[in-house]
Amino acid sequence: MATSWPKKRRLIGKDVQRLDGPAKATGKAKYSYDINRKGMLHAVLLRSPHAHAKIKAIDTGAARKMPGVKAVYLIKDSGDELFWAGEEILGLAADTEEHALDAVRAVKIEYEVLPHIVKEEDALKDDRQTVSEYQRKRNNVLKPKEAASDDFDKGMAAAEVTVEGSYGVPTICHQCLESHGLVAAWHEDGGLTIWASTQAVSKTADELAKHFAGKYKLDLPANKVKCITHYMGGGFGSKFGPDIQGIVAAELAREAKAPVKLMLDRASEIVAGGCRPSAFGKVKLGATKDGKLTAYEVDCYGTPGVGVSDTVTFNALPYVYLYTQDGKSFPEFKRKHTRIRTNTQLQRAMRAPNHPQNCTLTEFILDDLAAKLGMDPMQLRLKNLPQNDAEKVKSAPHSIDALKNTIYLREIEIAAAMSKWKEKWHPPGKTPGVVKHGIGMALHTWGGQAAPQRNECTITITADGSVTARTSTQDLGTGERTVTAIVTAEILGLEPGQITLQFGESDFGASSGSGGSTTCPSQAPATLRAATAARDDLFAKIAPKLGVKAENLVIELGKVRDKAGGKTWDWKKACAALGGEEAKATGFWTYGESQLPENKDVSSSGVGGVQIAEVLVDTETGVVRCTQVVAVQDCGMVLDHLTCTSQVAGGVIMGLNYALFEERIMDRVTGRQVNADMEFYKLGGIEDMPKILVHLHDMPERGVVGVGEPPTISTHAAIGNAIFNAIGVRVPHTPFTPDRVLAALTAKGGKG
Amino acid sequence: MSNTREHNTNEADLSRRDFLRTSGAAAATAAVLAEAPAALAEEAADKSAVKAIGPQPIKLTLDVNGADMTTTVEPRVTLLDALRNYLDVTGCKRVCDRGTCGACTVMIDGKPVYSCTMLALEAEGKKIKTAESLIDGGKLDAVPKAFAKYDAQQCGFCTPGFVVAMRAAFDKNPQATPAEIEEALSGNICRCGTYQQMRDAIAALCQNQRKGG
Repeated sequence: MATSWPKKRRLIGKDVQRLDGPAKATGKAKYSYDINRKGMLHAVLLRSPHAHAKIKAIDTGAARKMPGVKAVYLIKDSGDELFWAGEEILGLAADTEEHALDAVRAVKIEYEVLPHIVKEEDALKDDRQTVSEYQRKRNNVLKPKEAASDDFDKGMAAAEVTVEGSYGVPTICHQCLESHGLVAAWHEDGGLTIWASTQAVSKTADELAKHFAGKYKLDLPANKVKCITHYMGGGFGSKFGPDIQGIVAAELAREAKAPVKLMLDRASEIVAGGCRPSAFGKVKLGATKDGKLTAYEVDCYGTPGVGVSDTVTFNALPYVYLYTQDGKSFPEFKRKHTRIRTNTQLQRAMRAPNHPQNCTLTEFILDDLAAKLGMDPMQLRLKNLPQNDAEKVKSAPHSIDALKNTIYLREIEIAAAMSKWKEKWHPPGKTPGVVKHGIGMALHTWGGQAAPQRNECTITITADGSVTARTSTQDLGTGERTVTAIVTAEILGLEPGQITLQFGESDFGASSGSGGSTTCPSQAPATLRAATAARDDLFAKIAPKLGVKAENLVIELGKVRDKAGGKTWDWKKACAALGGEEAKATGFWTYGESQLPENKDVSSSGVGGVQIAEVLVDTETGVVRCTQVVAVQDCGMVLDHLTCTSQVAGGVIMGLNYALFEERIMDRVTGRQVNADMEFYKLGGIEDMPKILVHLHDMPERGVVGVGEPPTISTHAAIGNAIFNAIGVRVPHTPFTPDRVLAALTAKGGKG
Repeated sequence: MSNTREHNTNEADLSRRDFLRTSGAAAATAAVLAEAPAALAEEAADKSAVKAIGPQPIKLTLDVNGADMTTTVEPRVTLLDALRNYLDVTGCKRVCDRGTCGACTVMIDGKPVYSCTMLALEAEGKKIKTAESLIDGGKLDAVPKAFAKYDAQQCGFCTPGFVVAMRAAFDKNPQATPAEIEEALSGNICRCGTYQQMRDAIAALCQNQRKGG
């Protein structure tokens, strides 16, 4: 059956208050960290103090005898090698957290300390093999990936102006406020329930079931592991699956025959809870005198920690501006990317994985080029925007390929007006005085389509008129609960507050993890289908009792109406005709469904996004203050204007922290992170915040596209460019701290 | 529900009277410490005057949101951990656990305090209020109400701390300006980035306060 959004929309796209707002603001919302069970034990993990070491001997005898200790689970044993400071060695559960902390200190371990490398530049200077045993033969610095367009050399030769620069962003940490962790409790029937802080309720349950499959002669089918995540305190890409602490907590709970809580302490959360990899690169850009890009060359490196993944999206450089037309690449490109393995935690996806790094390696040099050309950088961007794909304009007019140029042009126009760009922009470094004003911009893009996996929503209408929407998906604070209620209420002619929401339990149907901005474009269509089918089921069941034909029944606000006879029934009265029955339907959605011709424009893929930042830079102290950020963002059909705006403003703030405050600082001697806390790992407070102006470029004709990730991508680049505009000197690396600003000014021999 | 709750008292080995006496002595010692170290030494030497507390667990009663709650904790347990781990009062969140982020903010006799920086036994005899106190029989206090209306929260984990800090700031000065409220929130950190909406809530609250609303 074809699926489509209602043509007239009463709630969708309007400002609807977050339904769980009061519960969160008054501390009533129970997060995984807040779950306390009768007889619950507290567990802690013992972590490696060394960045690279071998365990010569491990003795838990004394620890096991400490007061209150109920269970110990060894993750590593003697002979095992540890590859980063913070790597998990064992878990221990005791009756109180105090006892658990005492006991873990009584574990005796003898280490053979081995050489480590924790900084990218150290590996580049003196490469070794310090990372992983099974790849002993491999150096830390992996063979670079290289690629070039066919006519790169011609493109660079055609350049009338070239500019070169070095730019970079360090590794940063996810720093989720609710740390990773869970409560695990086994039932007498052999089942396991966990309350986990996760972005993937279903996957977390499945993976734990897999871990125990066949172990300890346990009969543990997947349906006997239940994961509950009613509220979640931040994930940003770092919380998929049970993780090592999930396995340890479940193992300890099994051994101790008692529920176990294992939430990471703050230092652990920072050193082991995920990080966004670094990216540093030399970039060269060639253009004609009038500003048409001819060639882009990048040679970059970054560290994925002990892993091997890319730290930039290799094929997407230069970011945003790359496109092909008639087989020719605009601009021509040459790329080299080197992954440097270090003795640091494995990187995890972080809110638009690799895109902020791509943005760094593209947007900064554009402004440097504009300065060399004496051009307004907005004009330079307008000249080089990717073009709409002529074929797609005909075949799929609402696809991103058909709309790219149109969207960016319109968004730049809106952002320029909102920021008063024309009045405020000035040539770099040309304002008088000590405190200098600057304005800069940057663009970004993201996918945000429905997930390939099945996502379901089940809606039940009962005879008392109550409506329940049930789904296993998780609301990370994105507003997913509220969106589900909005879609349900829209179809059933009710108010969102009238919908009872049952969320975040793995036995509530299929759902996928909240990654890639896929949740809304997966869940909203599933909800649309469920609500529509539940409505039709209601009509079929009540029509005979109301003495009308089901096909003549329609929904009006708070009512059901018979089109033929003109009679209306109040919602509750209509539902009362259900008698002992209930109307019920499950809707599902996948990326595959979104691609079927009959479902076109229900959910879509691909967004643009433009941000313009303003700063004041004190050239005597080097202090940067960001005063305003304008964010213009499209995400297809806006479902809840209020929470969507919050997502965008929040993305801007995360990007501002990336620009001005955040950096993981590793100590090369000890191999440990020196700022694994919240005092020296900086995040901005309310007084550090600029004025943030958000404009949602609503395109309901495109259907739903996810927006969780895109709005954080380009903020740091816009701020970096604003600083360049203020002082006329490039500060090459984030965070743009006073020392770096002063160093950049000094290198240019003055105060900008 | 009963107004008094008892938790985890199996290891209580001090009577409540004993505990009050010892904690009173500790408070007196602290006062002396600030003024006359010599007198302190003298006091400390008099073993009958100062009875050491701990390391064994002690029974204590905390006044939390108007209810007396009794539990038994080691003296090293912070107020935050006593509330969360022993009394199941979880509106105050543990995030940094080092007095940096403000997620654990509670009101102690009306003043905002990081509950991770205070020992539970120091809070005896004081009125402790957490975010949970800002809803009374379904009636939302103006501060959390504004947070909900203006969407000043996403994941919401930092939110109770912000709400308590803001409530305390308005209680201290009902005529506070938005800048003063922002200053009062400078000890709180949000990761999702809800400050813009928080400013909307602050603007509305300040306007209402000026109107006397």
